Amino acid sequence: MIKDSPRFEPFSQKPISLLSESGEWIAPFDLDLDEAALKGFYRDLLAARLLDERFIKLQRMGKISFVAPTAGHEAAHVGIAHAVKRGHDWLFPYYRDAGMLLAFGVPATEMMAQMMATKADSHKGRQMPSHPGSQALNVFTVASPIASHIPPAVGTAISMKIRNTGQVVVTSFGDGATSEGDFHAGINFAGAQGAPIVFVCENNRYAISVDYHKQTAAENIAAKASAYGMPGYLVDGMDVLACYYVMQEAVERTRKGLGPVLVETQVYRFGPHSSADDDSRYRPTEEVKAWKQRDPLMRMQRFLEKRGLWTKAWGDSLRNEINEAFSVAIKEAEAAGAIPAEWMFEDVFKDMPRHLKQQLERWRSELSG
Amino acid sequence: MSVKSATMLKTTYREAVREAIRDAMRRDDRVFLMGEDVGKYGGCYAVSLGLLEEFGPERIRDTPLSEAAFVGAGIGAALGGMRPIVEVMTVNFSLLALDQIVNTAATILHMSGGQFNVPLVIRMATGAGRQLAAQHSHSLEGWYAHIPGIKVLAPATLEDARGMLWAAIEDPDPVLIFEHAMLYGQEGELAEDVAAVDIDKAVIRRAGSDVSLITYGGTFYKTMQAAAELAKDGIEAEVIDLRSLRPLDNGTILDSVRRTHRAVIIDEGWRSGSLAAEVSARITEGAFYELDAPVARVCSAEVPMPYAKHLEEAAIPQLPGIVAAAREVLGTHV
Repeated sequence: MIKDSPRFEPFSQKPISLLSESGEWIAPFDLDLDEAALKGFYRDLLAARLLDERFIKLQRMGKISFVAPTAGHEAAHVGIAHAVKRGHDWLFPYYRDAGMLLAFGVPATEMMAQMMATKADSHKGRQMPSHPGSQALNVFTVASPIASHIPPAVGTAISMKIRNTGQVVVTSFGDGATSEGDFHAGINFAGAQGAPIVFVCENNRYAISVDYHKQTAAENIAAKASAYGMPGYLVDGMDVLACYYVMQEAVERTRKGLGPVLVETQVYRFGPHSSADDDSRYRPTEEVKAWKQRDPLMRMQRFLEKRGLWTKAWGDSLRNEINEAFSVAIKEAEAAGAIPAEWMFEDVFKDMPRHLKQQLERWRSELSG
Repeated sequence: MSVKSATMLKTTYREAVREAIRDAMRRDDRVFLMGEDVGKYGGCYAVSLGLLEEFGPERIRDTPLSEAAFVGAGIGAALGGMRPIVEVMTVNFSLLALDQIVNTAATILHMSGGQFNVPLVIRMATGAGRQLAAQHSHSLEGWYAHIPGIKVLAPATLEDARGMLWAAIEDPDPVLIFEHAMLYGQEGELAEDVAAVDIDKAVIRRAGSDVSLITYGGTFYKTMQAAAELAKDGIEAEVIDLRSLRPLDNGTILDSVRRTHRAVIIDEGWRSGSLAAEVSARITEGAFYELDAPVARVCSAEVPMPYAKHLEEAAIPQLPGIVAAAREVLGTHV
């Protein structure tokens, strides 16, 4: 429930943190999550981390052509996923959001199959890796042209407003996306039309190799909200509870018809931009090391440990359980088998037009002849 | 529909499009119109005049001036269960939304494995004749017709202006409708109880046995005039109105050419890599041995559209050029 007086101030100079680095609850309000919920946050953080590790392994084994590593973004992913109503609200994520989708309920088998393009892939082998989506869960399939998903996300939010459905949209993107025309066009449009949408920038300070200060002269991304007529919240993106509580307030605010919100989560990409990138060419190793000291998973672990909710034994068994579930998911995805090539002729249009039927027939006869 | 009856009403192409929008909005509350100046101003070509008063600002939405935003938002609204009609001022300005149209609207059904379809209609003006220079007046519909995943329509007649929209809205895929800017003022009669028309077939608008004149959109009436001109000399030209540029109706084109053995394609687009080139290639592939003469094309001069009236007129297909091209393939050129 949203309180009458909001918990958080927009446009703060310092990022909103609720957990200290050592895992202390430092918020000006009482924690209202039960043990199961808190452990659930940890579980989803760990699952996101392990999913990332598994994707990278599959890529090195030659089973995936490309992967966009997500380690360091988990607190934002899990905070967002828990603040949104599953199966009711919509997500328009970007390509570094695998952990968010997993926490939102996209089955691990589907995630693995999307990466490996087997018959269990809901995208039928047509989307590039790290570009999942799920119609069943209202998760739009990830777009490659940066920020191009933002205007459609706004349009879906407007459809909810017109139909008065009580749904909201959350769309996420990196810091580089905020330089694109589609970001400006989309967020301005949402502000002018009062669309029920929360924009979340996962600012990891690098757009591939280009650092934040070459991207914008703005002190932070949240500040940009002011010009679009909406509140902007600056959040410690390594603090899953800060991400969750701010997102929850933002989502409920926009659900109440008070207009869109911009949230900036300050995260860090522990790995390279992608499996095709060597980040040592543009990032000092000391910087990477320093950010890894702020690992969102470890901070939540310390928080739980202080409350007697985390033991090494529990952590290890959880890790084994998740890893085992991923192994099963990979097996299931692979067992589904390869996608028949002729499937590519489907879904260009809802009904296959004459010329595609002809091209399919020609393809079949070339294959048999 | 072309049979005159007591219920025929005098109207214009512009009013026919407006009536089509009004009818769609009355039939289906998921339909709404969005774009710059569609509300109070009534649309840059006055198509939506009066609709704001009738349907209110929620359904006739004036938007910020961003083609990428309102086309992209149209895609999103379609995903969210609406049936949006997005109006873009001209095809030239649609290039500001090209990524949304080509990379998102056209691909998403396929890329998502059939999960997300985009039942979106985008209407825009195309073509020259109003002295608005190169950045308002090009004919890029043939370019869009290159893209799998979208349907491209070019209504030339009042019946199609009135009837294609509902079929496009009912279509589960994104549909682009190109309204030639010089057609809005076209006058004619329409039946009061006019119905939706198909959106995937070409139509023979004038039967003839000597030469097939294949055209669409803005050059349609010029081509009909050319056929009348040729008839004075006893030449019976068949005029095909393509209507749908994607998919292209091969059957109607090839059947006609197999009967007439001669073809001239009239297309306001530029010649190189044009829709006219595609039609010509299909005739070569499908009816080469039926041809008595090489296929001819009448296209726009390959220059950016000039402003001055006499330059603009010189740049696009005109009656004498169409007549001359037809005579040439008939071997009666003088």
